[in-house]
Amino acid sequence: MAILEGRNLRKTYRLSRRNTVEALKGVEISIESGEMVAIMGPSGSGKSTLMHILGLLHAPDPNHGPAPELYLAGENVATLSDNARTKIRARRMGFVFQDFNLVPTLTALENVLLACDYAGIRGKQAKQAGLDALALVGLAERADHKPAELSGGEQQRVAIARALVNKPEIILADEPTGNLDSDRSAEVLALFRQFNREHGQTIVLVTHDSEVGEACDRVIRMRDGRIRDYGQRTATAATPVMAIPAVAATA
Amino acid sequence: MRLLRDLGRRKLRSGLTITGIAIGIMALVVFGSMANKMNTLISGGSTYYKDKLVVTIGSQISGNTQPLSIATVAQINKVDGVAIAVPGVEMLISDSTGMSMGVTPMITGILPGADKGLETFKMDVAQGRYLEITDLGSPVVVMGSDIAAKYHATIGGTVNLRGTDFKVVGILQPTLTAPDQEAIVPITEAQKLYVETLPPLVRSKLEPSEVATSITVYPKAGVLPETLKQRIDASVPGYTVMTGKDFDAELGAIGSVFSAVLFGIALLSLAVGGLSTVNTMAMSVAERTREIGIKRAIGASRWRIRREIVAESAAIGLISGLLGLAIGAALTYLFNDMGRSSGNVLFLLTPQTAFTAIGFSTGLGALAGFVPAFGASRLDPVTALRYE
Repeated sequence: MAILEGRNLRKTYRLSRRNTVEALKGVEISIESGEMVAIMGPSGSGKSTLMHILGLLHAPDPNHGPAPELYLAGENVATLSDNARTKIRARRMGFVFQDFNLVPTLTALENVLLACDYAGIRGKQAKQAGLDALALVGLAERADHKPAELSGGEQQRVAIARALVNKPEIILADEPTGNLDSDRSAEVLALFRQFNREHGQTIVLVTHDSEVGEACDRVIRMRDGRIRDYGQRTATAATPVMAIPAVAATA
Repeated sequence: MRLLRDLGRRKLRSGLTITGIAIGIMALVVFGSMANKMNTLISGGSTYYKDKLVVTIGSQISGNTQPLSIATVAQINKVDGVAIAVPGVEMLISDSTGMSMGVTPMITGILPGADKGLETFKMDVAQGRYLEITDLGSPVVVMGSDIAAKYHATIGGTVNLRGTDFKVVGILQPTLTAPDQEAIVPITEAQKLYVETLPPLVRSKLEPSEVATSITVYPKAGVLPETLKQRIDASVPGYTVMTGKDFDAELGAIGSVFSAVLFGIALLSLAVGGLSTVNTMAMSVAERTREIGIKRAIGASRWRIRREIVAESAAIGLISGLLGLAIGAALTYLFNDMGRSSGNVLFLLTPQTAFTAIGFSTGLGALAGFVPAFGASRLDPVTALRYE
């Protein structure tokens, strides 16, 4: 079953009065539930824009062409209000970004608990979920550390714990390994693969690291605001979890 | 608390903003306390004068009276509608008091019991007793609370008033108005002291026991003070007759000036404090653009972002208010302590003033947070995430 399905997805950014950029020129996409997909392409190909639309951070442009459609588990979410999209992001999606993006004044645990709070989960239940999420990424011991006291890899694992804590249906990651060395990248990819395998979480990664792409079930390639190649489910999908770090480490 | 951690990120900037508002709130507390004191004094006077008339030559409020003959008392007693007229002698406790705000310390000579129970302004004795008719002719004194402290008066001890030793027989409870600054003596003793203050030429023609400075007139039940004033003016001309309404008219103006000054200060701290808080919060928001972006991305609603910023801004106001109140309270306490000896007890910090100051600064902080908060909540999460 497709968890995310989009048609006629367009996005034009207006940089100034005369200068507009057509980032997405009508994209059709379908992502299966439980899939781990990489979206790849050169800079400016529209891969981040597509992720922002799939992650409901931006709405697709409604005019200048056939009406856009975007379905999340069968429900049309293309024209939802900002508030409604925010709610879905809080409860049903998890986000990981390139720059880790933790709140510097909060401890690792508090950063994870932000996501619970926004999803309406508070108190003991939230705290337990937060500690469990940190344990999953191997940072149970570091729960009370501030981001500045953690290494880059550890910070990204905290961000992943934050993305996971509400057990979302989909995790969207924008260049999650972009600021990490190859060993740390391998760890992060292994984590994603583990959640994908063990919890059936759908994972959409935007990357231009081809090794990250190879570690995924499928690679979608973009160029100039259009999808050029929808990719095939590769044999990697069958590779055992522990094999992933080895693949990345050979680089 | 997260809020305080956020404020602590820029300690200098938060500190300076808080100090700025605290200074405004401190001014508000100090001047508010001054206005309270003034209003208590005035309302005390207003209560005192409400049901009676005071006959003088010259104005009693300005303290600029001339001697009048005790024979006038008998003339006024004959006026229709007068229940009783009582002579009194008032003078400054010392000629060197000079200009002062609030109430000047006075010596008040009274005829104990002469009001026949018509006096409604009750003064309670904290220690010792009040004056009695048998005290006439004896150098005894009942001290008001502030002045008792100034003269270190103790029951049975003596105080020296204008060169004469008086035995302290009573100390009054604080009234927060004029009697706190009064040394109350039998009229006979006040008359002796009073004639000494007059120029020799005037003094030589006067018999001390014939002199008074004011006559307090109690109207009969159902007689309006204003009506009685007209009758006294008609039958005993040449005197100043003051009713409670006259008192209110004269001193109400002073009260309004204080209120206006207070309002001005409030407005000033509103402008200065409000703008500097807006500035501080706007800078905080700008610095945290990325953080706001991430929070929005992972599901914080616009309302949540607004609430966080307004709460932080209100916290700045609250801390400033508490600090300003603490400094203001300390100052008023210190000034009162210093002023007690000279009779200048100028400040009265009431709980209402304290709560108003705190509420005002917290509200101001919250209000100042709204502008940056709305700006922050309208940030596009994706743009904010990329903000350098």
